[in-house]
Amino acid sequence: MQTHAILGSGVPSHLDLLVGGLPLRLCSQDSELLSAATRRYDGFNGTRQKRFSIEIDALALPSAVESKFACEFEGATVVADADSARFSGVRHEYALDSLLRMWLSWALLPETGFLLHAATVTRNGKAYVFFGRSGAGKSTIASFSQAGTVFTDEISLLRRVDGEWRAFGTPFWGEFRADGTNRSAPLAGLFRLLQSPEDRVDPLRPADLLKALLPCVLFFSSRVDDHERLLEILATASCEVAGHNLQFQKNRSFWEVIPT
Amino acid sequence: MNAAAIGIWRKNPALAWREIENETVIISPDESVMHELNDTGSMVWRSIDGRRNAEALAALLVEQYEVTKEIALADTVALLDELTSRKLLVPVEAGERSAPR
Repeated sequence: MQTHAILGSGVPSHLDLLVGGLPLRLCSQDSELLSAATRRYDGFNGTRQKRFSIEIDALALPSAVESKFACEFEGATVVADADSARFSGVRHEYALDSLLRMWLSWALLPETGFLLHAATVTRNGKAYVFFGRSGAGKSTIASFSQAGTVFTDEISLLRRVDGEWRAFGTPFWGEFRADGTNRSAPLAGLFRLLQSPEDRVDPLRPADLLKALLPCVLFFSSRVDDHERLLEILATASCEVAGHNLQFQKNRSFWEVIPT
Repeated sequence: MNAAAIGIWRKNPALAWREIENETVIISPDESVMHELNDTGSMVWRSIDGRRNAEALAALLVEQYEVTKEIALADTVALLDELTSRKLLVPVEAGERSAPR
């Protein structure tokens, strides 16, 4: 699949990606950065269909006067509007990766989606999403799951598509790198990870699920209306998707208590 | 009598909030802090409109729950005090006030 545009100089000028079903185009004159991004996001190649355009500069440019979203990370900044964004001060792929996460957390709002600190594993065509903050056991869960079934062990992307909640793999990985993760599946359930000497599952009421999800959602906007939209999306998910507390031991026995 | 008892309050416009299952989740984007209210707290929160004072809010609790006026007022004042100390409410200045209810 052709994902690079080659200029007369032979320098790739853009990279097309598909993340969470959203087609986006990274544009840069920095061939090394685009090459690194091509390797990093291998498996998430997009089509030429362009929904979002992201211009990337190594220089730290002054922020636009008016933008719907602005965020900063270690000297690199993202400013964005509905269909386009500019990443400035991006000197390496790690800065690019950080800004991409920040931007995506905001760009998903109109798509009824959000990013969650969670491992996603599939079974029988359904996605089981295990969420928790750092150290909760996401990579452990992934490592005790069957090869080829792990969408991500770090950041899951959840979206309501045609009235159905789906979990998508993302190119943002943790300790356990899964292969071929640019897939999606309908959600079977959301499981809050609680390490324990026993394996046990208890249902969560929608209100408790919402409160459990909030600290695990990646979100960087400081605007009140964005937070209102996020709460609306999370409340919808909490009412429509089964939520559970999962107490689990550090072995694969936890799958025995997961409701199917 | 403290400020919560005699003042009139409105929700801090810098907050996002959502009611779910008679509970309320409030987010302060500037501080990345989540606050929670139970069902009675949610009823008071929902009724804070920049016009009702503590007494008027307490009267709503008396209508809704089996509680005496004195207890409802004490609980309402305590809640308003807590909400203002967390900057979830801001005072309505005299010039902003519309007709009392």
